[in-house]
Amino acid sequence: MTDLLLLFTQQTINGIYLGCLYVLVALGLTLIYGVMNQINFAHADFVTVGAFAAFFVATRWATKWLGLPDTTGYLLSIVAALGAGALLGLVVNAAVFAPLRNRGDELRPLIATIGVSVLLENGQLALFGPIPFQFDSPFAQHTIRLGRIFFSQQSVLVVIVAALAIGGLYAFMKFTFLGKALRAVSQDRETAGLMGINENFLIALTIVIASALAGMAGALLGPVIVLTPFAGASVIVKAFAIVIIGGFGNMEGTIIAGILVGIIEAFTVQYLGSGVIDLVVFVLLLVMLVVRPTGLIAERREENV
Amino acid sequence: MGALLAVEGLELAYGDVAACRDISFEVAAGEIVTLIGANGAGKSTTLRGVAGAMRPRRGRILFRGEDVTRMRSHERLLAGIALVPEGRRVFPFLSVRENLEMGGFRHRGDKAKVNALIERMMDTFPRLRERAGQRAGTLSGGEQQMLALSRALMSEPVLLCLDEPSLGLAPIIVQEIFRSIVAINRAGTSVLLVEQNARYALETAHRGYVMQTGTIIAHDTCAALKQDERVKEAYLGRK
Ligand SMILES: Nc1ncnc2c1ncn2[C@@H]1O[C@H](COP(=O)(O)OP(=O)(O)OP(=O)(O)O)[C@@H](O)[C@H]1O
Ligand SMILES: [Mg+2]
Repeated sequence: MTDLLLLFTQQTINGIYLGCLYVLVALGLTLIYGVMNQINFAHADFVTVGAFAAFFVATRWATKWLGLPDTTGYLLSIVAALGAGALLGLVVNAAVFAPLRNRGDELRPLIATIGVSVLLENGQLALFGPIPFQFDSPFAQHTIRLGRIFFSQQSVLVVIVAALAIGGLYAFMKFTFLGKALRAVSQDRETAGLMGINENFLIALTIVIASALAGMAGALLGPVIVLTPFAGASVIVKAFAIVIIGGFGNMEGTIIAGILVGIIEAFTVQYLGSGVIDLVVFVLLLVMLVVRPTGLIAERREENV
Repeated sequence: MGALLAVEGLELAYGDVAACRDISFEVAAGEIVTLIGANGAGKSTTLRGVAGAMRPRRGRILFRGEDVTRMRSHERLLAGIALVPEGRRVFPFLSVRENLEMGGFRHRGDKAKVNALIERMMDTFPRLRERAGQRAGTLSGGEQQMLALSRALMSEPVLLCLDEPSLGLAPIIVQEIFRSIVAINRAGTSVLLVEQNARYALETAHRGYVMQTGTIIAHDTCAALKQDERVKEAYLGRK
């Protein structure tokens, strides 16, 4: 009996760790959907770019060139991936999304996100080739033991970083003028403009935040995924499922759904094997779509962001 | 010295369909001007054009002598034009206080000023103070109208545009809203008022323009318009 409880606790902890990774990816999708009513098909590639940026900072620049310890190198690489994601978001918005958005058509920007995705994947393929890179986190080797429960330092790091990011984002949305303006734009873009809010600036800001989160997620995912130019694809499908389960554009729903999917995945691996994870997640998605099409937090279903 | 607002030959369209053609009118500093007309005459469209929510297809808009035709809505707000849109359009999931803060977005660098303005709005409409933390979407229609009006005033506009502030409200609240419009005007803000309720509009405003199917068909002082046979018949319900 206690063994069962132990197993349960252990898998829940694993699930929260996984869920945090998913939330970081899914939040960007939700933010962009909430503010712009648009799906960003290039989001996965922002994750990949973040993972590669982190890889090079952690394994080359910080450690080989600057001679920093592994651990510092990896921590630095998380910040670097955040910056790389933000920068990429800034550039892609200025070069592609913003010009198209001003044409006032909804389909073109959507297709453009697919174009950006193809561009980023093939650009990275040309640069890094198709062979997976070995990206180890120095924190993954150290195990923390609490009684008979084990978890790696890496998972603690992931949970802390995710908590900081989510908490920071929440405080930004709740307490700053700009964050409130972002929510206003997501609720009624035209009226926000009438309040003197430059919606194009806020949309750019949203994309930058979303991409920064994706990039940072890349740094944290790098050591657990197969790092190739198409690496982001392995999490993006789950991230989309999470966004839908959480109620498109709903931040709180996305956070809860992400953790939930992480936990379900951990238990699925334990009891059914890793081959059926996607199946289980999509069965959950279908059930949700039938039972509660507006998402987990139905009461606030119209709230975006 | 020209008018505060001068609209010249404005044409506004939804897609290819023109909703307003050849609209010209003026608002002088300190004036209350009303646009009246039947449903679908193009009053809201005209106001949206003035506030920059729509790009005109033709014509010019001059504000304080400056050509603002190409300015987007957030720039027009900085120029001094605020709009209380049709249907109030409060941000439903922001609190009452946050809605007011958004109205004062241009003062975001000056927290003390924003708070002082919010206090002033809440003194005018104490109901807003009682509801400060409540989500705006849960307010009653009248409360939402007070909020929408206060929110627009938070930017300290030179010209306040109001689209049907009386829509769907009980007579007592309509009177309260109109009293505040007059008070706002006395305090120095010019007002461009669109109203279904032509009687109230003509009582409140100094001059009026009558719109019909996308064009202006008459304009005069309100005293004269009240005597105009067409206006009487169509909008005042007298024979
Ligand atoms: N978003 C829109 N898309 C297409 N046509 C529109 C849109 N909004 C208004 N119209 C059309 O433009 C014309 C003018 O509409 P507008 O809303 O300006 O009239 P209004 O005078 O404000 O009417 P009301 O008194 O009913 O508010 C109408 O024929 C209307 O059908
Ligand atoms: Mg109207």
